[in-house]
Amino acid sequence: MMKILAAGVVPLLLVLHWKPGAGSPLPINPVNATCNTHHPCPSNLMSQIRSQLAQLNGTANALFILYYTAQGEPFPNNLDKLCGPNVTDFPPFHANGTEKVRLVELYRIVAYLGTALGNITRDQKTLNPTAHSLHSKLNATADTLRGLLSNVLCRLCSKYHVAHVDVAYGPDTSGKDVFQKKKLGCQLLGKYKQVMAVLAQAF
Amino acid sequence: MWMSKTWLVQAFFIFITTESIGKLLDPCGHISPESPVIQLGSNFTAVCVLKEKCMDNFHVNANYIVWKINHFTVPKEQYAILNRTASSVTFTNITALSVQLTCNILTFGQIEQNVYGITVISGLPPEKPKNLNCIVYEGKKMMCQWDPGRETYLETNFTLKSEWATEKFADCQTKRATPTTCIVDYSPVYFVNIEVWVEAENALGKVSSNHINFDPVDKVKPSPPRNLSVSNSEELSSILKLSWINPNIKSVIRLKYNIQYRIKDDSTWNQIPPEDTSTTRSSFTVQDLQPFTEYVFRMRCMKEDGKGFWSDWSEEASGITYEDRPSKAPSFWYKIDPSHTNGYRSVQLIWKTLSPFETNGRILDYEVTLTRWKSRLQNYTVNDTKLTVNLTNDRYIATLTARNLVGKSDPSVLTIPACDFQATRPVMDLKAFPKDNKLWVEWTAPNESVRKYILEWCVLSDKLPCILDWQQEDGTTHRTYLRGNLVESKCYLITVTPVYADGPGRPESIKAYLKQAPPSQGPMVRTKKVGKNEAVLEWDQLPVDVQNGFIRNYTIFYKTIIGNETAVNVDSSHTEYTLSSLTSDTLYMVRMVAYTDEGGKDGPEFTFTTPKFAQGEIEAIVVPVCLAILFTTLLGVLFCFNKRDLIKKHIWPNVPDPSKSHIAQWSPPTPPRHNFNSKDQMYSDSNFTDVSVVEIEPNDKKPLPDDLKSLDLFRKEKSGTEGHSSGIGGSSCMSSSRPSISSGDENESAQNTSSTVQYSTVVHSGYRHQVPSVQVFSRSESTQPLLDSEERPEDLQLIDNVDSGDNILPRQQYFKQNCSQQETSPDISQFERISGSFCSGCFWSRC
Repeated sequence: MMKILAAGVVPLLLVLHWKPGAGSPLPINPVNATCNTHHPCPSNLMSQIRSQLAQLNGTANALFILYYTAQGEPFPNNLDKLCGPNVTDFPPFHANGTEKVRLVELYRIVAYLGTALGNITRDQKTLNPTAHSLHSKLNATADTLRGLLSNVLCRLCSKYHVAHVDVAYGPDTSGKDVFQKKKLGCQLLGKYKQVMAVLAQAF
Repeated sequence: MWMSKTWLVQAFFIFITTESIGKLLDPCGHISPESPVIQLGSNFTAVCVLKEKCMDNFHVNANYIVWKINHFTVPKEQYAILNRTASSVTFTNITALSVQLTCNILTFGQIEQNVYGITVISGLPPEKPKNLNCIVYEGKKMMCQWDPGRETYLETNFTLKSEWATEKFADCQTKRATPTTCIVDYSPVYFVNIEVWVEAENALGKVSSNHINFDPVDKVKPSPPRNLSVSNSEELSSILKLSWINPNIKSVIRLKYNIQYRIKDDSTWNQIPPEDTSTTRSSFTVQDLQPFTEYVFRMRCMKEDGKGFWSDWSEEASGITYEDRPSKAPSFWYKIDPSHTNGYRSVQLIWKTLSPFETNGRILDYEVTLTRWKSRLQNYTVNDTKLTVNLTNDRYIATLTARNLVGKSDPSVLTIPACDFQATRPVMDLKAFPKDNKLWVEWTAPNESVRKYILEWCVLSDKLPCILDWQQEDGTTHRTYLRGNLVESKCYLITVTPVYADGPGRPESIKAYLKQAPPSQGPMVRTKKVGKNEAVLEWDQLPVDVQNGFIRNYTIFYKTIIGNETAVNVDSSHTEYTLSSLTSDTLYMVRMVAYTDEGGKDGPEFTFTTPKFAQGEIEAIVVPVCLAILFTTLLGVLFCFNKRDLIKKHIWPNVPDPSKSHIAQWSPPTPPRHNFNSKDQMYSDSNFTDVSVVEIEPNDKKPLPDDLKSLDLFRKEKSGTEGHSSGIGGSSCMSSSRPSISSGDENESAQNTSSTVQYSTVVHSGYRHQVPSVQVFSRSESTQPLLDSEERPEDLQLIDNVDSGDNILPRQQYFKQNCSQQETSPDISQFERISGSFCSGCFWSRC
């Protein structure tokens, strides 16, 4: 069910937030907006966020290797060309910003990556249906991103009373060919690996 | 055509029938509520409403309603008529879990018609679930469990609910088989707090448990570390290095570990101090291990901060530490063959193999050296644990070392004393006792320094030889247990020998049991001696093989056939016992029980019978009685003998046999005394009452002095007269007075009843107190012809001399008229002296 949520519901939720003009910063809701959570956020929320970032950072490289290995040639031997972190419209991150700004930017990045991972997972189940290890790892990463998103939102809501953040999403791969799907996936995971290293250091 | 008509008829009939049944099944009313579920112990009211149509048909109303519960009519008191068509019934404190309630009407003729029925189900609302807790098995989904509370008797559904702060998850519905656990469908997401609670719901209510909020990472039970391996180090024989692969969760959380190890054949685990393994790692070096010892390891892990659960134990892995030189000198002792040959003695050196903890490797061989004072060393290399050598009677020093791949042990040194060595200085207060299933030996050390102690022991048996086992203890030890395969109920003879620098001390021994038991056999009692009122019982000491313990005492049970059993306790040192106060001529049954500290065992029953009389009792009665009879008889005989004259006089008269009498010679006439015609003269001498004829026998060869002759003569006469009881002449003489034998004190006339010559006596008294008119000498009227000698007295002497033989002197008889005057014949030297009685006139005759 979680997988379903990760693969379907989260992208759906995120898609609901999507608006044309991805890549431009979007305003957050006013401070006085209603911010309701089901239960109070834990006191160690930032610690949990750091742990989640560390967890994602710790598994990012393995996921990246697993992905391009599963795609087969020419990916493993042409990583620079095929899997370079050349992702357009990727949400920016400013490590020297305030915590609130960093959390908002983190929220957008996580939302972006979550949607992208959902798309990659969907594509890989079609392109590499026997790559169970990759599927499992993609799902686990998506779950973790979902948890991270919840924590960040909880933090923004509980501490900064930010109940809503406009987010942008990556390109939709549904209409692209197999190679493009693979290439986009590989580029995204390369970006993911790169940005996670930055984020893990930023918090 | 015909077939089609038939089909139509049948269809019409079915239609009509169906319609009719539908109407018949239409109930006359209904009960409200339709399917009630009520709480146990609560009140319940049901209402039955009749239909108007039915009331008209049956001509009834609500007053005709009868309520039944489980086919029993409900009392009218519980009814209430609500209106013409409705009647209610109320039940208080419902306790049954399920009842059948029916509404019935009484139609014409008191016929009861069922209107409607319902089932009333009772139960309890769910209790608030308690002790909700969740666990996350690594790589699996989260599972939560809880305590459902009391039994509700109703179908109760438990739903596990969970949510993040920002979103909810799908409910987890329990399965019927596991109503208190639920495994969620989603994979756990670490570092996000989740709130979980349980809702319990049944027909009577719905209740939620307390919410618990946690980070799933704090509920993780990691997978155990895998691929645990052990490696040793040649540099250090006391370490082993462990390596393993951490579970995958190590990428998410930090871990801490429990590492346990044990010697392979041991069952007790030792644990590495937790503080040494409190951080994430993938290897660990275990130190302070025994050389050349195989160790088994296992480990587990959990989240470093202690939140969550310990993983299961990993698979065990083992490794052997490297060798080191033997850490201890072997135990060393000797035995000497008592037989000496040509100034040599056979000595067997024996030693014990070191324990695996002491060998520190594989023992290759043992090196033994023997040194006699001022002589060279004798070296031996032995693979066995004994060495027999012939030694002189001198003192020797023996050393022993064990060698392995790395080196030699410290030497064991043993002094073998000279042949004339006198062992002294034994241990004191030697004790042996069982404790904790071991046989402990304790002693007080001698005053002098002891190098070591040797303990030897063997099983004492009547059948098997004493096979010694032994062990060595340090000189500081004064208490140890026997490290052998001891068995229970066996008597062990334990010997402790102190070993000094100059040789062994005097051994001390003690007997002990590892565990006592009742004897296998009881003692066989028997009688040693049986008396009228007592019996001496005896028995043999039990053989040591059947004792099974120290015989503390015996108990003798004895009884008669009808009597109560009597028990007597006897000290174990005794082998016989005297039962006293027994009844004579009685059968006794006796058995004997021998007791150890653990119980007793009785021997076979033995019976004996006491005699009617004690030993010697019969003799004590019979002998005195016989003696009394004999004595009385003797007294009687003596009395009769002494009074024989008197008795004879009373029994039979002294009647001479005229046919055998004759007058041999008339007494010389003594006119004044034999004046038969003078009556006065005749009675004047009253002493002349009898005539005695005395036979005088010649003495033996030697003449005696006068006095002694006379005494001797009398004694002979006395002895000669004894046994002679008859004779006419004798009898008549005795009748005169007391016995005529005179002794030195008593001179009385003796009556000679010698058999050689009998004399007839003419008595003056009559027969049987018939007093004769005169006392006369009468001539026998016997027709016995007179002998020539009687006619010629001078010839008689010659004949007597001839009859007496050569050794008998010629006998000379003489007639004495007055016996009061003692006369001596000229030939008195040849004759015994006599003392005559009063004789008034005698004649002699020969029968």
